[in-house]
Amino acid sequence: MPSLYHIIKFSFQDIVRNIWLTIVTITILLLALFSINTLATVRLISDNAVAAIKEKIDISLYLKPETAESEIIALKNKIAASAKVKEVIYTSKQSAIVSFRAKYENDPTVLAALQELGRNPLSPSLTVIPKNFDESNLVINDLKMLDSSIIESRDFSDNSAILNKINNITKRVNEVGLVLIMIFVLTSLLVVYNTIRVAIYTHRQEIEIMRLVGASNSFIFMPYVFSALVYALVSILIIISIFYPFLTLLQPYLETFFMGYNVNILSYFVDNFFLIFGVQLLAVLVINIVASLFAVRKYAKV
Amino acid sequence: MITLENVSKSYDHKHKVLKDIFLAIKPGEFVSIVGQSGAGKTTLVRLLIGEERADEGKVMIGDWDITRLRRREIPYLRRQIGVIFQDFKLLPKKTLEENVAFALQVCGEKSSKTKKIVPSVLKIVGLDDKRKRYPSEVSGGEQQRVAIARALVHQPKILLVDEPTGNLDAINANEIINLLLRINRFGTTVVLVTHNKEIVNRLNHRVITMENGQIISDRAHGKYLL
Ligand SMILES: Nc1ncnc2c1ncn2[C@@H]1O[C@H](COP(=O)(O)OP(=O)(O)O)[C@@H](O)[C@H]1O
Ligand SMILES: [Mg+2]
Repeated sequence: MPSLYHIIKFSFQDIVRNIWLTIVTITILLLALFSINTLATVRLISDNAVAAIKEKIDISLYLKPETAESEIIALKNKIAASAKVKEVIYTSKQSAIVSFRAKYENDPTVLAALQELGRNPLSPSLTVIPKNFDESNLVINDLKMLDSSIIESRDFSDNSAILNKINNITKRVNEVGLVLIMIFVLTSLLVVYNTIRVAIYTHRQEIEIMRLVGASNSFIFMPYVFSALVYALVSILIIISIFYPFLTLLQPYLETFFMGYNVNILSYFVDNFFLIFGVQLLAVLVINIVASLFAVRKYAKV
Repeated sequence: MITLENVSKSYDHKHKVLKDIFLAIKPGEFVSIVGQSGAGKTTLVRLLIGEERADEGKVMIGDWDITRLRRREIPYLRRQIGVIFQDFKLLPKKTLEENVAFALQVCGEKSSKTKKIVPSVLKIVGLDDKRKRYPSEVSGGEQQRVAIARALVHQPKILLVDEPTGNLDAINANEIINLLLRINRFGTTVVLVTHNKEIVNRLNHRVITMENGQIISDRAHGKYLL
C-alpha cells in the first residue's frame, strides 16, 4: 500500500495544478446540492403547511342554548354513525365558557363584559372530525343538508381549496425538482469524470513512469479517488455554509406567510443536520468515486 | 529466463506485427536484437513487460507465464524487469536523485530503504556527484544513465533496453553500452534493442535479427546483418 502522505500530496498537486477545473467541478456539485436542498425545503414547507391547516380544520354545529342534553347526544350519535366521520366532539355550554374564560384571561374588558351579562351566552356545540381529510367537503355537504330543529348555526371553515392549491404547487415543484436533480446528478457525474480525466492527462508522464517501474495500481489511482473525495467534502461544507444563512434569511418570511402556523424550517435543518447532510455527502461521494474510477480505469489503464 | 513459444501479435487483427516467434534467453546473457524500424522489436519488449498481450503462443519470464498475467500482477512483473527507452522518460521537475527515488516511492517502499538504494545505484552509473541536478542540466548520456539507475532500484534480473543510444552521440552511446556490459557482468540478463551497427559489431555477443515480425537470424557471436 502506498503511503497516505504520497496519495494526499499527489492529489493536492492535481487540485492545485488544475485549479479552474477544480472550481468548475465544485460549482457544479454545489448547484446540484443547492437544488436538492431547495427542493427538500419546499417539500418541508408544504408538508408543514398542510399539516398545520389540517390541524385547524373546523367543522362545527352550534346548538340552541336550551337544548336538552339527551337531544344533543342523539344528534351526536346520528352524525357519528356516518362512515365519513371519525369523531364528534361535544362541547357543553359549561365547558365552552371555561375555555372562553381561559382564552381571554388576559383580556379584562372581555371578561368584564361577560360579567356584565350575568349569564352564559355561549351555545353548546358539536365539532365534527372527518375520517379522511380529503373528504371533509363531503362531510360538510352532509351536515349542510342535516335537518334538525336544535341546530342554531353551522360553521364550516372549508380549507380544502387552499389545501388543493398547496398540493398542486408541491406536486409541480416536485416534478420540476426531480428533473432538475436528475440533470444535475448526470452533469456532476460527467464533470467529475472529465476533471479526473484531465488530471490524469496532466499527470500522464508520471503515470507512464509509475506503470513502467511497477507502481501498485492503488498508488496510481488512489490520488484521483482522493481528489474526488476532496471535491465531495468541500462542496458539502460550502453548501452547509451557504444554506444555513439562506434558511435564516428565509425563516422570517415564512413566519409572516404562515402566520399563526408553526412552520420552522431552520430548526428542522438544525435538528436533522447529520441525517440531511450525511445522506447528501454519501450520495456525492458515491457519484464522485464512481466517476473517478471510470476515468482512472479508462485513462490510467489500471 | 525468457522464453517465447510460437508468439504472434497483431494490433489490428489483420496485419501480424510478430509472427510465430520462438526465442529462449538464458539467465545472465547479453543479447542484442536488431532490425529495421517497424520490424516489431519494440512490440516484443512491450510483450515482455506485460504492456501488450500475445494473440497466440506463450511468453515466459522465469517460470511465470505472462500471457496469463492478471492486471494486478503486472506491477510485480515490472519490478523484476528494468526497462529503458530511447527517450529516457525522466520527470523534468524532479532532480536526478528524486527521479530515481520516485520509482521506489511509488512502489510503496519505506524511505529508509530509498535513502540507502538511491545513492548506491547513482554510484553504479557514475552520477552520485550530480544527483541534485535536474534532467535539463545534464547531457543526454547522463540522462540515460539516470534512467538506467532507476531501472536498477528493484535489483531486476532482467534489463530490457530499447534503443538506448538513439538520441546519443557515439561517445555517450559507448559509455551507455559499457555500463550495460558492467551491469551484465553482475549477473543481470540484458536484452538490448538497437539500430547501431558499430555497437553490435563491437559487442561480439549473441545477435538476433528481426524482419517483418519474424526472427531471420540468431547467432551466438553475431554481426549486424542488414
Ligand atoms: N500501438 C500500436 N498500434 C498499432 N500499430 C502499432 C503499434 N505499435 C506498433 N505498431 C506497428 O507495429 C509494427 C512494429 O512496430 P514496432 O514494434 O514499434 O517496431 P520496431 O520497434 O522494430 O521499430 C509497425 O508496423 C508499427 O506501425
Ligand atoms: Mg522500436
